[in-house]
Amino acid sequence: MKTLTTLLAGLALASQLTPAHAGAVQVDPAIPAYTATSGVSGNLKSIGSDTMNNLMTLWGEGFCKSYPNVKLEVEGKGSATAPAALVAGTAQFGPMSRPMKDTELDAFEKKFGYKPAAVRTSFDALAVYVHKDNPLKSLTMQQVDAIFSKTRRGGYAKDIKTWGDLGLEGEWADKPISLYGRNSASGTYGYFKEHALFKGDYKDEVKEQPGSSSVVQGVASDKFAMGYSGIGYKTADVRAVPLANKAGETAYEADMDNVYSGDYPLARFLLLYVNKKTGEKLDPLRGEFLSFVLSKEGQEVVIKDGYLPVPNSIIQEEKRKLGLK
Amino acid sequence: MVWLTGGGLVLATLMIAGLLLLVVFNGTLTFWPKKLTQITTHAGMKYLGEVSRSEAYQHDGKPAHRQLLRTANFDLFGDHFKWISRHDVARIDYPAEAWTVERQEWGLFVGFLKEVRIDGQPVSQTFAELHGPARQRFHQLKSMEKNEIGEVNRAIEELRLDLRRIELKRGKESPEYIRAVAETTKRETELQAEYAKLGAEVTRLRAEDARYTVVLAEVNGQTKEQKISEIVRAYPANHLNLLQQIGVYASRWWEFLTDEPREANTEGGVLPAIFGTVMMTLIMSLAVAPFGVVAALYLREYAKQGPLLSAVRIAVNNLAGVPSIVFGVFGLGFFCYVVGGGIDQMFFPEKLPTPTYGTGGIIWASLTLALLTVPVVIVATEEALAAVPGSMREGSYACGASKWQTIRRIVLPRAMPGVMTGLILAMARGAGEVAPLMITGVVKLAPELPVDGHAPFLHLSRSFMHLGFHIYDVGFQSPNSEAGKPMVYTTTLLLIGLIALLNLSAIYIRNRLKKRYVGAQF
Repeated sequence: MKTLTTLLAGLALASQLTPAHAGAVQVDPAIPAYTATSGVSGNLKSIGSDTMNNLMTLWGEGFCKSYPNVKLEVEGKGSATAPAALVAGTAQFGPMSRPMKDTELDAFEKKFGYKPAAVRTSFDALAVYVHKDNPLKSLTMQQVDAIFSKTRRGGYAKDIKTWGDLGLEGEWADKPISLYGRNSASGTYGYFKEHALFKGDYKDEVKEQPGSSSVVQGVASDKFAMGYSGIGYKTADVRAVPLANKAGETAYEADMDNVYSGDYPLARFLLLYVNKKTGEKLDPLRGEFLSFVLSKEGQEVVIKDGYLPVPNSIIQEEKRKLGLK
Repeated sequence: MVWLTGGGLVLATLMIAGLLLLVVFNGTLTFWPKKLTQITTHAGMKYLGEVSRSEAYQHDGKPAHRQLLRTANFDLFGDHFKWISRHDVARIDYPAEAWTVERQEWGLFVGFLKEVRIDGQPVSQTFAELHGPARQRFHQLKSMEKNEIGEVNRAIEELRLDLRRIELKRGKESPEYIRAVAETTKRETELQAEYAKLGAEVTRLRAEDARYTVVLAEVNGQTKEQKISEIVRAYPANHLNLLQQIGVYASRWWEFLTDEPREANTEGGVLPAIFGTVMMTLIMSLAVAPFGVVAALYLREYAKQGPLLSAVRIAVNNLAGVPSIVFGVFGLGFFCYVVGGGIDQMFFPEKLPTPTYGTGGIIWASLTLALLTVPVVIVATEEALAAVPGSMREGSYACGASKWQTIRRIVLPRAMPGVMTGLILAMARGAGEVAPLMITGVVKLAPELPVDGHAPFLHLSRSFMHLGFHIYDVGFQSPNSEAGKPMVYTTTLLLIGLIALLNLSAIYIRNRLKKRYVGAQF
């Protein structure tokens, strides 16, 4: 998390450049459009994160518009399947919603002698959702921990069980908080456990859902519910609660500006891992796909799927790293 | 006792009828064109959209009412839906010139058609005049990319595989290989030239296509220029008579049934999923019918009745109670990895490490489901065989027929309707099953159908799409769940309809069989 925050601090400037359009997220206008080249064909396979399942499918659809002869097969069974697939060579791309662990990096390095390249393709802000009628103003990370975790590693004094414990009044005061979350196979489950629960354990009452979208639907149909899910799944029936790092600090909305400035506590990069030897060029097929992802069109796809695009500074950095024009 | 049993039946019927009604009601309404409501708030903001539902709620302690408006225009505002409280509403209009525009990408647009442009200049032709030809160009482009360019690519891929096959067989230094390399290079240059020619044609068509655009304006005046060919369907929502409404409704159903999905499965049609479901059920029936019938024949006619047989029977009955996901895991381990991996080693070494049969595919999914449903067929067949009167067998033996002749000519024909009933039950169970399929071959998006015009025409190794999995995907994984919900109902309706159709045809065949044998008795 720290590395992300420091990285993001440098991007505060970029956020000022983004146009202040009401509501709609826009791609950084400085990002160049994609230009198709010739002679690109073949099969691509991506194995990894289920959070990025739709994203990879949409990128594939967009990429195939320029190269109808390219076929992209997408398999999304969880971030943990990506490193294994890259090591075995069964997939060219490993989308992951968390960075590789040291053991996974070591396994890769042992086989190839170098580390895989991680491409930062987009942002996801993990949001804590409540029902749209819920008057809750904001939460601190310690409160989130006390609501979802039974171990309370965040250091909040007491367990939070009812809405009254969060200071709500009237009909809310004695109603218990009904909790929704993801199943343990999901990367979102793991990320939330690590960063919101401070590596503690979930309460047994958390209702585990098979998809991010069903968490949101659960919260939408249950007035006294709270759940966590990616910002891309927000609907008109739920509200994302602003989050603060500590008590007494400002709480930030899960929007583009706060993610870019690094203020929102639960922001993460969505990464695309590729097998690339340092100093060597990528083959045209993979290179062009990554160019597409890091282009204006590729970043528009990110918005279409509900995630947040990266600013041009990151795009340029990634392209330099990959040796793309 | 009459009341208890009757009550049980009524309760069960009511529950089934209620569920069916819910699905049918929600499923059939999805595609009906809705009116566009324009709401002006006290604050002066304007919203235009389809009212999707409304609800009562508490506003400052007082009961109030609010509506969910499908405002669409996701590319402009980042939302699909908006709740508007009755308290804030100053005015409600139904503007006559408001249009609902369904687009190839980015979902719905609601607003007004401002002007039609060719080469960026406003022209006098109407949108309706240009839309037909634009869609034709769009489909022409699609088919060129898919068929003609696809053909060239298949040829190039084939060349590469042929070369690899020779390399594997003869080695890299062999004269055959060197000759083949030269041959391949020459052929590949020709194909590349052909590809370049087709590519140029596609580029030309695209450029032509981009000339025709339409400017759309949302309710507060912000505009967006859209290629006409990328508009699937557009209609003035408040200006339709009943006939036109039916037209839009029918055309949406048609698209749903015959088109491919787009936007990561949230829009477009489900043809590949229908195809996959039907084909998988048929392959499963082909596998399960002979297997189940033969097993039941042995159990009933040949085997010596005793404790061992009872144990086998109990085992078969218990098999029906094993959770389906266990069958899925077995299918993945045994069929995909062991059998499929073996086939790859033997017949497709040139494609390795990319697996051909050694991964999920329609054949493995069908066989897994066949295993899952075989107990149903065995039990039903046994019952049917037991119901054939002993006197008929004895009559047959008395005439000097052997055991097999008796079974084939006397027993099996009379048991056939019962066997068919078992098969119908098995099909119904199999077609609705999803869990084991998810790990043995069903995918979110399959680029190709398992049947096409290229030898060997039937590609049993391909992964496929399935209506049941489609429901799961749209219901639980789609980012725009509010818009996905009606699609879930519609897809469910379609799946139920499809299973009913499969069952009805099986019942029809059974009745014909019955008639034939009843008529032939004496």
